[in-house]
Amino acid sequence: MQPGSVPSAFRTQIRPALIIFLLVTVVTGLLYPVLITGIAEVAFPDQANGNLITHDGSVVGSALIGQPFSSPGYFWGRPSATTPYPYNPEHSTGSNLGPTNPELINAVSARVTALRAADQGNNLPVPVDLVTSSASGLDPDISIAAAQYQISRVAKTRNMSETDIAWLIDQNTQTPQFWLFGEAQVNVLSLNLALDDLAAHRISVPAHKTSLIEQEISSPIPGISEKDGFQFILYAVFLILFLVPFGRFMAKVYTGEHTILTPVTAPVERWMYRVIGTSPDEEMDWKTFGIALIVFNILGIIAVFLVQQVQHLLPLNPSGFGPVPWDLSLNTAISFATNTNWQAYAGETTLSYLTQMIALTVQNFVSAATGMSVLIALIYGLSRKSTDKIGNFWVLLTRSIIVLLPICLIISVILVSQGTIQTFNGPVTVPLLDPVKDSNGTLITTQTIPLGPAASQVAIKLLGTNGGGFFNTNSAHPFENPTPFSNFIEILAILLIPVCLCYTYGKMVGSARKGIAILIAMTIIFVPLLGLAIWSETGGNPAFTPLGVNQTAGALQPGGNMEGKEVRFGVPFASMFSIVTTATSCGAVNSMHDSFMPPGGFAQMLMMQFGEVVFGGVGSGLYGMLVFIIIAMFIAGLMVGRTPEYLGKKIEPREMKIATIIIIIPIVLILSGTAVAVLSDAGKSAVLNPGAHGFSEILYAFTSVSQNNGSAFAGLSVNSLFYNIITSVMMVIGRYAPAILTLALAGAFALKKIVPVSEGTLHDHRPLFIIWLVFVIVIVGALSFLPVLALGPVAEYLHIISGGLFHV
Amino acid sequence: MSDPDARKNPVSLYKRAIIDAFLKLDPRLMAKNVVMFVVEIGSTITTILWLQALSGQGEAPAAFIGAISIWLWFTVIFANFAEALAEGRGKAQAESLRKMRQDTEAKKLKDDYRIVKNRMPENSDYATIPSSNLRRSDLYYVRSGDTIPLDGEIVEGVASVNESAITGESAPVIRESGGDRSAVTGGTAILSDWLIIRVTANPGEGFLDHMISLIEGAKRQKTPNEIALNVLLIGLTAIFIVVCATLWAFSYYSVETAGFGQVITVTTLIALLVCLAPTTIGGLLSAIGIAGMDRLIRRNVITTSGRAIEAAGDVDVLLLDKTGTITLGNRQAVELIPVDGNDINQLAETAQLASLADETPEGRSIVVLIKELYGLRGRNVGANEQDMEMQFIPFSSHTRMSGVNIGPVSIRKGAADAIAHYMEEEGNSVSPDLKVKVAAISGSGGTPLVVAKNGKALGVIHLKDVVKGGIKERFSQLRRMGIKTVMITGDNRLTAATIAAEAGVDDFLAEATPESKLRMIREYQAGGRMVAMTGDGTNDAPALAQADVAVAMNTGTQPAREAANMIDLDSNPTKLIEIVEIGKQLLMTRGALTTFSIANDLAKYFAIIPAAFITTYPALAALNVLGLHNAILSAVIFNAIIIVLLIPLALRGVKYKPMTAEEALRNNVIMYGIGGIIAPFIGIKIIDLLLVLMGV
Repeated sequence: MQPGSVPSAFRTQIRPALIIFLLVTVVTGLLYPVLITGIAEVAFPDQANGNLITHDGSVVGSALIGQPFSSPGYFWGRPSATTPYPYNPEHSTGSNLGPTNPELINAVSARVTALRAADQGNNLPVPVDLVTSSASGLDPDISIAAAQYQISRVAKTRNMSETDIAWLIDQNTQTPQFWLFGEAQVNVLSLNLALDDLAAHRISVPAHKTSLIEQEISSPIPGISEKDGFQFILYAVFLILFLVPFGRFMAKVYTGEHTILTPVTAPVERWMYRVIGTSPDEEMDWKTFGIALIVFNILGIIAVFLVQQVQHLLPLNPSGFGPVPWDLSLNTAISFATNTNWQAYAGETTLSYLTQMIALTVQNFVSAATGMSVLIALIYGLSRKSTDKIGNFWVLLTRSIIVLLPICLIISVILVSQGTIQTFNGPVTVPLLDPVKDSNGTLITTQTIPLGPAASQVAIKLLGTNGGGFFNTNSAHPFENPTPFSNFIEILAILLIPVCLCYTYGKMVGSARKGIAILIAMTIIFVPLLGLAIWSETGGNPAFTPLGVNQTAGALQPGGNMEGKEVRFGVPFASMFSIVTTATSCGAVNSMHDSFMPPGGFAQMLMMQFGEVVFGGVGSGLYGMLVFIIIAMFIAGLMVGRTPEYLGKKIEPREMKIATIIIIIPIVLILSGTAVAVLSDAGKSAVLNPGAHGFSEILYAFTSVSQNNGSAFAGLSVNSLFYNIITSVMMVIGRYAPAILTLALAGAFALKKIVPVSEGTLHDHRPLFIIWLVFVIVIVGALSFLPVLALGPVAEYLHIISGGLFHV
Repeated sequence: MSDPDARKNPVSLYKRAIIDAFLKLDPRLMAKNVVMFVVEIGSTITTILWLQALSGQGEAPAAFIGAISIWLWFTVIFANFAEALAEGRGKAQAESLRKMRQDTEAKKLKDDYRIVKNRMPENSDYATIPSSNLRRSDLYYVRSGDTIPLDGEIVEGVASVNESAITGESAPVIRESGGDRSAVTGGTAILSDWLIIRVTANPGEGFLDHMISLIEGAKRQKTPNEIALNVLLIGLTAIFIVVCATLWAFSYYSVETAGFGQVITVTTLIALLVCLAPTTIGGLLSAIGIAGMDRLIRRNVITTSGRAIEAAGDVDVLLLDKTGTITLGNRQAVELIPVDGNDINQLAETAQLASLADETPEGRSIVVLIKELYGLRGRNVGANEQDMEMQFIPFSSHTRMSGVNIGPVSIRKGAADAIAHYMEEEGNSVSPDLKVKVAAISGSGGTPLVVAKNGKALGVIHLKDVVKGGIKERFSQLRRMGIKTVMITGDNRLTAATIAAEAGVDDFLAEATPESKLRMIREYQAGGRMVAMTGDGTNDAPALAQADVAVAMNTGTQPAREAANMIDLDSNPTKLIEIVEIGKQLLMTRGALTTFSIANDLAKYFAIIPAAFITTYPALAALNVLGLHNAILSAVIFNAIIIVLLIPLALRGVKYKPMTAEEALRNNVIMYGIGGIIAPFIGIKIIDLLLVLMGV
């Protein structure tokens, strides 16, 4: 390039960037949520507006949002960590207490004592969900065991028959959805409303009633039930079913072949390309591609930043939120543009509906599309020969959105049907059945339930592996993820594109099995860590056992380590969600990772530290994986005595330089960021949990932002100037440096010739290749992070098993 | 092959290598090898910490820091030793080749000397000067008993030359001006006659000098694969520097938050860094490269670039000359076929007479065949017809026949059309039987020679190319390695196809011309393939220059030698296959040791991490799976000693046998990947036990 041509290259991309940005904002930020809201209002008006319960003609609450109960005559729900009073829907949060935190042990101990004190003589083991706080702080449900445990207290207090109350529990028990998803659970608000009705003789107990009270509280089946096992299989089945058709669909969209959507999209595409003055044939070299990508993303960051600054002047702000502080705005803007969706903000108390729509939802689409575009550019680079062209960024971006949007429509509607809200109505205030005192001693008699167009945002946050929730507690919030089935759909939505892109990749490089091989390698890393997390969480917290807490899973309770988890998902699928979300760089959560047992937290962190390549973010996961493949093929190539190659492309010093730097970047970011934080007061003071777990909080934060995951050990208070700035820097470097270098890699490969396949070629789809690839990924991740993990979750875990915990 | 002095005297070789290992500690030299340079810096720092500890304010006991420092220095020195040893061996090998050319005198012809054909220069025509004063394009004179001082091109004269000094072949060879045998190599000796030679390379620029400078390191350039691997190793080292540097911060914080324990010492961090850094491969990388060249020299192949050796490992296509590589030099008679009802014995006798004076390999093969098949010996024939005067008719390009006249009897043999022409002149016509039999031989790829007596055809001799024994198996091995073999021949398509099928090559180029060879190479290269070829003639030069790996025969012409990037002193075309294997072995050794080096780190973590943090988190003792007492020191010692233990492997190269990429990878992953994970667990435990026994 000539001097001075770089700025002009930037300038030429500004016009198309602006036009596309505006168009995408209108389509995904306005039309899409409005359309979903319209469908929701027509098809699922109750669900879309928060499943409000009407009793005697007035709204008494939401079936999905729990209420605080503390009177002995009511059934108590899960302990809630919200402030200033429990079950405050305006501040959804979990406790984020780590498993070894004495504060947690003391809190559980106090709750057990309180339960026993309110029900003298009831010496049954206390079901774990009754003494551990939920992830959202709004969990509407308890296990049957937890309800049954309270029968004697309620019966005594109300002077009612235990069998009548048992019948009521039975009546208010929700059985597993479709006989498959979730455990039997009891909605506390409904049960208590029914209890009052029974007391007031508005309902009566029929003559022959069945009761579950005779049943054993604990079941001998430890960990995972057959039903859960079947659900695991169902994930695999669905993904395998989608793999080929959806993978092929994406390949066709990118290459401009005819698909079912072509009649709709082709005219729109043609019109758009004409307006911005490009066409699919006008391809870019890697530098131009990179400049277009940077210009477009800078524009996105500026837009999101500005919208937050002026949201109080814009419509659709029913709660009247003011402008967001500049450092938080910047952090959020960068966080969404980089596909990190690190939530330093709490959606329900910070952002207007319009901000969620035209700023965050739009970025969810375009940041995912950016990642997918880079992947396709790399695929072009690997599969073409002797050219400098790696595709047209604007075309690939547009086509990525064409892939994302229809699936989002479907997922949104499914989620609304389950109870994910989608409305432009403002918050609803409902009376509390059992008024509660807040932390200042003021009596709270009402609960204000925030609403909003959540489903449209939740769908893309999952599908685009973005992860930024509408609410603070993300997919743990009952309004984002209301049922076990919605949880199933959400997990599938996260995995769908990263998994199917493997097939798209294989298709586009001319051999589907190459893509399948990569998918298998990913799965081989994924499954053991998933197993580790499930094993760790279903085992429960050994510190609770001596307190008289029953953590054994069974038919009547999910059991396990329920701190920071919701009853409706159960431990296995909270664990699975946590591993899926960390594996994919999604970062949405349905449980509080901070409260996982150390092996669970270890698995989550390692998932990210492996480079977010299993299955990784949409696009970014696979291009990260391809970089690992290049490293693996390089060493393997040497071992077979040939200049290493992949897909017939020789791996020479330039490619190795780029690939090595891509691998190093997140490692350096994570370790140096953590080091800076642990050495500075601003970094240390944000820590919630003591000891090794507190160290894990910081490590997790930097792992998450550097790898653009966005989930957190949320006990860490990251909304501070220090963290907002340092994490912004890490997110920018962690996202754009590898992306641009990947484009450079694509450019370098595109120029090369293709070496024909022979017996001397190392096959890149056979089991040996898969094992070798897994070995390289694991060894690079392990060598980089074993020491630091040793000081975090490993030390914490060994401390627990060596019995150290019991001295707390 | 001549055994170099240094090889006979390994003690001096090792002594030299040990001295060099220390000399190479010079940071300016170390900086070229980033991985080992980092180790050297680490060693320096721990040494300073040790001195500080001696003064009583150390971060750890002086004995511990001292022991770590010593073994860190050993790590560097062992790596240097490996390189020095490889250099020493390579140099010794090359020196022995060069020795013959040193201190020779040259008879430089005066500038005004005019070459006259077949005239020896007079004493006054030249001045005797040291050969090192000769320059390119100077003319010099050598005669019987002289040693040729410098590589050159013969401009006048014919001489027999003893090239055993470089080829080990004792039979003298003829060298003459013009044609394909006009190149001479410095260090070879004139046995008879004289030559006037033009210097083609300044002293110090010949192939050998190139090679020696490659080995010595002054001009040793890293090959692309070596650079790429180096990038990876530097990347890994950078990761480990970050890991270790930040670990101090993490340890500091952990001590602070746990409220007890000690922050990890700098000595331990450096020990950890050195153990993790890929020192095994980093320390042996240059030794592997040098050893590759050494292996090449030991097979009497000289190369001018390390890159060419590596390229040899990548070769997809081998272009092999038919003659000498695939077939035994020349065609041989395999059958006698009488025509028109003639007696086979008469044919045999006649054919033998016709060939008695034929000194060509074909002619001799006819005599041999007849001796073997019909028991007729040359002297028997001579004895029976001793009264007759035999007049041999040599082959002439005009008649294209040879033969013998014995009295009135004239016997001729020659190509079918030449004999046909001769018969017609004698008034005889060519019988259909002859035509059929000639056509049958041609059709099978053979060459028919018709034998005629007094103008009448007696029969046909079937000459055939004989494929070398074992070559077919060799080619199928190559095919398993993914290498395609292409036979190059001047023969027509039919003949070429037959031999190609018999030899089992994948493809052939018939009626090859320099242009068609060049075109073929370019086509393969355009398809992304790497092409290797051998050549000797001047007309091979363009193709040699185009090929990725070009091996010139030492007997070849100067242009061919200059176009090539390797020279085979033995002039053995089959050598190409060995060169490919050496190239592959070189890359495999690097890959295997890289894998081994990285896989080693896992065990080192299990050794060092518990030891480093046990004061802060006593529970981490559970990770000390080996139950080590001196974990850090044991790991450092293992890390240093493994370099020494692997020197033989680095110099020898990993075991190589032809196999598919898949098999090669599987074997190496099991051996060096899994082996690399297990070995240090055992090694570190043993060292730890020994240390305990020694009371450390």
